[in-house]
Amino acid sequence: MDALLTKTKTGAEAGKETGNKISGAEALLRCLVAEGVQTIFGYPGGAIMPVYDALYHYTDKINHILVRHEQGAIHAAQGFARVTGKTGVVFATSGPGATNLITGLADALIDSTPVVCVTGQVFAHLLGTDAFQETDVVNTTIPVTKWNVQVAEAKDIPAAVSRAFYIANSGRPGPVLIDITKNAQNEMIEEFTYEKCKGIRTYRPKPTLQMSQVEAAAELINQAKRPYILAGQGVLLSGAAEELKALSEKAGIPVACTLLGLGSFPTDHPNYVGFLGMHGNYGPNVNTNECDVLIGIGMRFDDRVTGNVSRYARQARVIHIEIDKAEISKIIKADVPVHADAKEALAALLPLVKPASHSEWIDSFRELNRIEEEKIIKKECNPDCEKLMMGEVIHRLSEMTKGEAILVTDVGQHQMTASRYYRFRYPLTNVTSGGAGTMGFALPAAIGAKIARPDKDVVAVIGDGGYQMTMQELGTILQYKIPVKILVLNNSYLGMVRQWQQLFHEKRYSCTEMVNPDFVKLAEAYDIPAQRVTRREDLVPALKDLLNAKTASFLEVVVGREDNVFPMVPAGGCVSDVLLEPPSTAQQKK
Amino acid sequence: MKQEFTLEIAADNNFSILNRIVNVLNRRRVRIKKLIAHEIEGDFYRGGAILLLYTTAEMMEKVKHQLEKLIEVEYANYMEGSDAYYERSEKHGCRVPSSSRAMTA
Repeated sequence: MDALLTKTKTGAEAGKETGNKISGAEALLRCLVAEGVQTIFGYPGGAIMPVYDALYHYTDKINHILVRHEQGAIHAAQGFARVTGKTGVVFATSGPGATNLITGLADALIDSTPVVCVTGQVFAHLLGTDAFQETDVVNTTIPVTKWNVQVAEAKDIPAAVSRAFYIANSGRPGPVLIDITKNAQNEMIEEFTYEKCKGIRTYRPKPTLQMSQVEAAAELINQAKRPYILAGQGVLLSGAAEELKALSEKAGIPVACTLLGLGSFPTDHPNYVGFLGMHGNYGPNVNTNECDVLIGIGMRFDDRVTGNVSRYARQARVIHIEIDKAEISKIIKADVPVHADAKEALAALLPLVKPASHSEWIDSFRELNRIEEEKIIKKECNPDCEKLMMGEVIHRLSEMTKGEAILVTDVGQHQMTASRYYRFRYPLTNVTSGGAGTMGFALPAAIGAKIARPDKDVVAVIGDGGYQMTMQELGTILQYKIPVKILVLNNSYLGMVRQWQQLFHEKRYSCTEMVNPDFVKLAEAYDIPAQRVTRREDLVPALKDLLNAKTASFLEVVVGREDNVFPMVPAGGCVSDVLLEPPSTAQQKK
Repeated sequence: MKQEFTLEIAADNNFSILNRIVNVLNRRRVRIKKLIAHEIEGDFYRGGAILLLYTTAEMMEKVKHQLEKLIEVEYANYMEGSDAYYERSEKHGCRVPSSSRAMTA
């Protein structure tokens, strides 16, 4: 009889507890509460209605943020995760609801961000029948998730959720998706119990530190004349910023940060030598091909860092400290692999390294960076031209926030400029889309970051192209009164693509010019106080207004239309080919 | 230089596991010449796969680690050549015609 009743329960009834029985939908919520989840970013729809019905009774425990598009939900969850280290949670419905998550899943996977997405799915008996809003979500998302699973029976929900949270936020973090059929949401569970996952037979998230590897690394470092640390996001994920600083100071090793590693080492530290990569600083790029021992920590030698790998650090012995074994020797062969959590490895390494200073070596970075300062940075940060430049906007923002704000950037020229000129001082203050390069990331990610860290100023720096990809999330900001600060750097171009067209395609600006709406009016339509700045004398007062606002606030800065980001490692070039100015016409034609 | 490798995988026998494995190989454009999937005797929840691949030694080593990164995969071991493939195929009840051996040897 009970079984029959269970089968005939409607979605509306499903959220209610019957004696000690609860529905699968409610079980899901109880699991989330047990995992400490307080915020969910989501968007309802037919196949997840039982969960939303159950959520109606959980508003005292769970704050659900109704976004305007599922992509906004997952980027918000990513922003939430990136500034806290906690797992971000997303709800979406089947079919398009789930497929709209794919960009965010890919972004979270490559940028090691812990997210758990729950998608509704059609009834189990309809699976494979091309039912309304049925998409094979599990098979579609295999390549963009760390793990995913379909649950077709209510009794399996607790185990799936506990595994999902364990997998998402252990080892190298990543996104997990749980696809729950509607019948499983509706069905009753006889006795609800929930136990946090403590281990999975086939999954070894934390490698056992091998002291022989650490000793070999210490030996190389102790013999090195020109050691050089490349710090990646793994330092932040493992909470190893202090250990990194201690190692750098004791052994006198200069430190450069990858895009996602920014914040892992203070930019005002004397051993900090700059930002790595295609638009990174001059010294860190050039000296990669001068060091004798290269120490990659929690990073993956991405092609934006290495340039042409056949000419990357060939002279150096390479130590690679990395928790993900598949990353070791994937791109750059490690002479000494240290397969370990960065914090554990650095703590073990520290007592084995000898005190050293390598002051001449560190000075060589300064000398190179001085050239960049003269040729680029001064002109960008204190320009004498009439037009406003992206560099000066970020420079002023950095001065005014003293590096205390959380900076969320989108993708493109403004992102590289922000990463170059914002002086990051603390871990978990840099949120950007790195590996995937997802335009449209910043606005929703800033929403998630602000909800997670209401005590911090959260500034979203976005280009005019990326802003228009997820601009609908202004509605979310309006509805929940989320006081994020939006800074749009508008050059009316898809600037980075235009830069490449200028430099490498003989200025054929194919489909990169943007005719934009009135962004100020648009922000005002969402009740967000907004300003546009076109003159230098108005910049600082407008930035002050942006930062002092107690509500959400918006500032558009109209910048030089055809400004470029330099230095630049040209495509196919090696790190020491880094350009400080546009290449000659002959080179451009290559 | 590309050559044949026998890859032996043990994994939890969940839905989509074969898809996950093949996905890693497809992404790397590693050619699958032959493939056998089987239950691990006496344990319904564990399964194995034996694959005959054609790729370089360097790629094989990288793919091994990417396969072992899959949550359900217990191990992914490989050997040079096809002998191990045929040995293991027969162990799991898959008869291999002698003409087929000759073609891939």
